[in-house]
Amino acid sequence: MIQLLLVPAALLIALVFGIPLLRYSWLSFHADSVLTGLVAIPNHGANWLRLLHDQRFWQDTYQTARFATVSVSLELLLAIAIALLLDQRWRGRGVVRAISLLPWALPTTVMALGWRWIFNTPYGPIEQFTELIGLQPLNILSNPNITWLATVVGDVWKTTPFAALILLAGLQTIPNDLYEAFHLEGGHPRAALFQITLPLLQPYLLLSLLFRLAQAFGVFDLIQVMTGGGPAGSTESLALYAYLNAMRFLDFGYSATVMISGFLLLVIACLIAWLIIKQTSHWREALK
Amino acid sequence: MNLVLQNVGRRFGRKWIVRHLDLEVGEGECLALLGPSGCGKSTTLRLIAGLDQPNEGSITIAGEDVTTVSPVDRRIGMVFQSYALFPHLTVFANLSLGLQVRGIAASERKQRVASVLALMQLEDLAERHPAELSGGQRQRVALARALLRDPLVYLLDEPMSNLDAQLREDLRPQLRHLILQGSQPVIYVTHDQHEAMAMAHRIAVMRDGKIEQIGTPQELYHNPLSLFVASFIGRPQINLLPAESGIIKAIRPEHLQLSSEGIPCRLVYREWLGTSQLLILESNRGRLRMLCASEITIPETIKLNWSPEKEHQFDASSGERC
Repeated sequence: MIQLLLVPAALLIALVFGIPLLRYSWLSFHADSVLTGLVAIPNHGANWLRLLHDQRFWQDTYQTARFATVSVSLELLLAIAIALLLDQRWRGRGVVRAISLLPWALPTTVMALGWRWIFNTPYGPIEQFTELIGLQPLNILSNPNITWLATVVGDVWKTTPFAALILLAGLQTIPNDLYEAFHLEGGHPRAALFQITLPLLQPYLLLSLLFRLAQAFGVFDLIQVMTGGGPAGSTESLALYAYLNAMRFLDFGYSATVMISGFLLLVIACLIAWLIIKQTSHWREALK
Repeated sequence: MNLVLQNVGRRFGRKWIVRHLDLEVGEGECLALLGPSGCGKSTTLRLIAGLDQPNEGSITIAGEDVTTVSPVDRRIGMVFQSYALFPHLTVFANLSLGLQVRGIAASERKQRVASVLALMQLEDLAERHPAELSGGQRQRVALARALLRDPLVYLLDEPMSNLDAQLREDLRPQLRHLILQGSQPVIYVTHDQHEAMAMAHRIAVMRDGKIEQIGTPQELYHNPLSLFVASFIGRPQINLLPAESGIIKAIRPEHLQLSSEGIPCRLVYREWLGTSQLLILESNRGRLRMLCASEITIPETIKLNWSPEKEHQFDASSGERC
């Protein structure tokens, strides 16, 4: 009956997660806006039908998936490198460990504002530099083709420390004996990365991948502060679109529909990530 | 094939962990490094393996100076105290990984691993992961991995310490047979004197980073060169009797005899050990331990004596034999 011990945690999750989810699912099948006098009236899936033909929704879905995939991939690659570096013994490591957490400790709105100024045309340091070397202004935050990359930079800078911290904890669970045994077997230190470190780090990679995917798919504050979803809606995320529907257009029914579809998208993304990792471990198994 | 350590020293900061270490282990010889924890025996092993570098001295394996050679290229067959099996790999993959990184072809790998699995009676476990093995099975896998290394030297770091007492006794002959059928020198680190005596041709007793005495188990037992060795080797512990002019006399419990003349003693405690019994006796020269046949009935007060050739004498201040 040890499962009984999970009841308090399960109740808490039901309270803060399950109930809102159910409430929003219910709301997504209702019209609830200024037009209905903010009263929920069943509309038999009209919201979902509207969603299917909503170009802005599909553009935002594409943008959210693109943003999440690119920034989470970059973050994990960087985090592996940083974690490996911080796991080595060297002078001043403690200080660097502490400093490397700073971006993560900073409130997102503050650092998003910082990035907005950095990317500002013409006064930000980047544009100052392009001007200095005689190039045309890049117009980073007003060019729909590249602005989303600026938001990726902001996100990577902010959340890489979090992933690095999880991976560092994972690295420290690997006994040093294993590396020594591997060396005595004739394996070079570089080969140990692929034969020992990464396979044993896999659960931690999966953990930080799922954490980060969940956060990146729900990205809101970074986008809201840095670009407001622009230019031309090119950086608008699903969460931002749901927010706008509710708070600007006062259409709560449709906002709930967008929110739930974003949630479903995240579930699918996590499943895909999980399957890929499972698949690769099968490959490794087969290679032996 | 042999292993030679000359004047090897290793320090951390200003503290010497081992110093002035001279050792020579011959072909097919098993040498035990025996000593209390912190005596430097594990450091010595790591220096030989190349996992740590000495600050002075040289290490020669099979006639070649390997002092600065990386552990990757040293051809050492090591069994770790933790066994250090790769948890994400099956037994088979654990064994073939080393062959793989050394560039041995897949077909040969398969064949060599299979033959070692058969030798170690591990065939049925080939597809299991280390977590699914018992302590004894893990030890066999670790040993199989060392055998497959085709090493110039075997290094065993407390290979039995994670096993229960019964299993340890069962495995000793097997381990000895397997390791010693080759011509490689074997270094066996342990803090258990019984194990050292059972496994090794010679024992080096270490203390505070130095070798206190090196010799066959018989030499150490019959002719200890210092008070430390005399006390460390042999159980129950040797009796120490302070004598006149700064001399300490040492007599093993099994060499004390009942007699009509000698030190008067009073029996305080008796432990029955099966074939023998251990007596704790109080005398005017301190507490004495005596080991004698278990049939003998011991009265409350007795007199003890010993033959002079069984007596060891040590200098009280230096601890050296005199």
